[in-house]
Amino acid sequence: MDYRKSAEEVLKYIGGSSNIVSAAHCATRLRLVIADNAKCSKENLEQVDGVKGVFEAAGQLQIIFGTGIVNKVFEEFISLAGITGGSKEDVKQAAAAKQPLPKRMIKTLGDIFVPIIPAIVASGLLMGLLEGLSNAIPGLSDSAAYTIFHLFSNAAFVFLPILIAISAAKTFGGNMFLGAVVGMIMIHPDLMNAWSVAGAESVPTAPVWFGLYDINLVGYQGHVIPVVIAVWFMSFIEKKLHKIVPEIIDLFVTPLVSVAVTGYLTLTIIGPVFSTLENWVLSGAKALIAVPLGIGGMLIGAVYAPTVVAGVHHMYNALEAGLLSESGVNTWMPIATAANVAQGAACLAVAFKTKNKKTKSVSLPAALSAYLGITEPAIFGVNVRYGRPFIAGCIGGAAGGLVAGLFQIGASAYGITGLFGFLITTDFAIQYALVMITATVVAFAITMAIFKDPEAVAVKSDVPDTSEKNEATESASASEMIITSPLNGTAIPLTEVPDETFAGEILGKGIAIEPSEGTVYAPCDADVTTLFPTNHAIGLTTEDGVELLIHIGIDTVQLDGKGYKAFVAEGEHVSKGQRLIDFDTRVIEEAGYKTVTPIIVTNTDDYADIEALASGDTGALDNILRVIR
Amino acid sequence: MKSFNYVITDEVGIHARPAGQLVQAVKALTSKVTIEANGKSAEATKLMMVMALGAKKGTEVTVKVEGADEDADVVKVEEFFKANF
Repeated sequence: MDYRKSAEEVLKYIGGSSNIVSAAHCATRLRLVIADNAKCSKENLEQVDGVKGVFEAAGQLQIIFGTGIVNKVFEEFISLAGITGGSKEDVKQAAAAKQPLPKRMIKTLGDIFVPIIPAIVASGLLMGLLEGLSNAIPGLSDSAAYTIFHLFSNAAFVFLPILIAISAAKTFGGNMFLGAVVGMIMIHPDLMNAWSVAGAESVPTAPVWFGLYDINLVGYQGHVIPVVIAVWFMSFIEKKLHKIVPEIIDLFVTPLVSVAVTGYLTLTIIGPVFSTLENWVLSGAKALIAVPLGIGGMLIGAVYAPTVVAGVHHMYNALEAGLLSESGVNTWMPIATAANVAQGAACLAVAFKTKNKKTKSVSLPAALSAYLGITEPAIFGVNVRYGRPFIAGCIGGAAGGLVAGLFQIGASAYGITGLFGFLITTDFAIQYALVMITATVVAFAITMAIFKDPEAVAVKSDVPDTSEKNEATESASASEMIITSPLNGTAIPLTEVPDETFAGEILGKGIAIEPSEGTVYAPCDADVTTLFPTNHAIGLTTEDGVELLIHIGIDTVQLDGKGYKAFVAEGEHVSKGQRLIDFDTRVIEEAGYKTVTPIIVTNTDDYADIEALASGDTGALDNILRVIR
Repeated sequence: MKSFNYVITDEVGIHARPAGQLVQAVKALTSKVTIEANGKSAEATKLMMVMALGAKKGTEVTVKVEGADEDADVVKVEEFFKANF
């Protein structure tokens, strides 16, 4: 493929380089932050060669090209746009600045909890394997090996506040090691272990703030949010101090003051307040999951996928981490699995049902990846686009969530869903399988029932016909054709043309252009089927069999050819961009006629739908119509 | 097969609007309708082909109607031509 051409087109359809705030790419996507989204045409972007999908997420316009291609398109893109590429982080920050505060907070939670997933997975998987093995092998739990490996399996959870503190310090721009110290203070062995409080005879206390009140000298084992807030505060004063403290004493004053102030405030105010808040949130979530008869699980399973679309699912990792460190079981993850797997199943049903090869090639791998825990391709690339599969997926998620809620399935880690989730649900293997089967069957069946493939509709309406042209259209593999503009000017909907024959779509569907100059170009390679003797209209048949009528002006047949000059003859083959007809807009207007030029697909009935792609300023050879089989 | 000849009396001939209406009218029939003019022939359901005939005022067209209901349909088509062209 031509990387430069794709880059040029992307640049055009996002409203030019002046509309770019920043640009970057990851392994598969071009990630752009756009100043004015209204100037972007997603429809046109999706048609650019090499583009596998376009969506907006996290304040970015993400254009999927795929591995190995995106970097080449990106190089061309930044040289064309005359900008320097930002790192992915720059783009994330620029995108974050555009988002409202609650969304930014949720995103921050994601930024903190996603990087520590490897640690959680290592411990969680070990824990799952140990549990599974000790169920299968009696006596294993008394062995020395078990004792040693069990120690590994809960290390990450016992010291979770330290992991969180390091990650939070990095996210908030503080010093990671000072962040770690704050985390260590919160679970210091000199404080009573939070797990021992329930069985203890008395809890040690200490007066604080000159005897104003007493605090319990208890650690924050099993807490998540107080750690995040404490480290946020530490990073805040650390950065302030770096600015005001003279450089010569900065090295020892800033760390000292940051840790001393944060530590005292954490144990006396931040910790007590936010651990209480966190307990409320956790008990709320647990109460919801525990609503009898699986109803809670069902509700969560139903709304889970919409929260992924809204981007608030990043906070669930914090919730899961909280559940794990508080009760040792993550009852959230099986419900998330139900929702994710259901979206995958809905996507799979689309893959089965669609006749569109492009849709099929996108939806099959997207479905598989959903089963492995990555749902974005299925949700954004397929299900949301068609609407109904997404709803079916939500219903499937509810069904699976119901099962998960009924059995109160608990996992031993977070960050893994789908098929690999078996590794962290070894105590519940059968129930967990049931969750996935239920979600899959329900979502798949409903999608098969309610998803209407635009292709299938087209096939039905395609009356059997033995004419040569129809054979030609059927042999073409593309499911849709793009028609470009034959004129420079302004695109308007066909229904706004001041002539009821065109506006009423009696001749077929299409679009109209108010020309800004008097030349008609061939919008694609085609045969000239009809050239009216008066040269005021021309009929083309494209290589794909689309019949196009370009009618220059309204009622201009009355001019009897005056002001029109044709450069081609009937029956001639023309190439895209070739000059077809010149017309004198002044002559036409002075005679009292309008120059607005309808472009009609006269064999509209052969197709499932014709969509207008342009409105407003349109250049010749810009995309204006999509013809869908 | 039934057929009739007709000389166009309308100023602009078989052009956009009436041609579109003709195609709509013919599609409602079961018969296959073919129009011949200026040495060319067009299936009446194909708008582009119909317009490509270039049938203007004074052009004589031959209309052929073929199918199970051709007796009834030929009357309808002829009435349409008289009313519109």
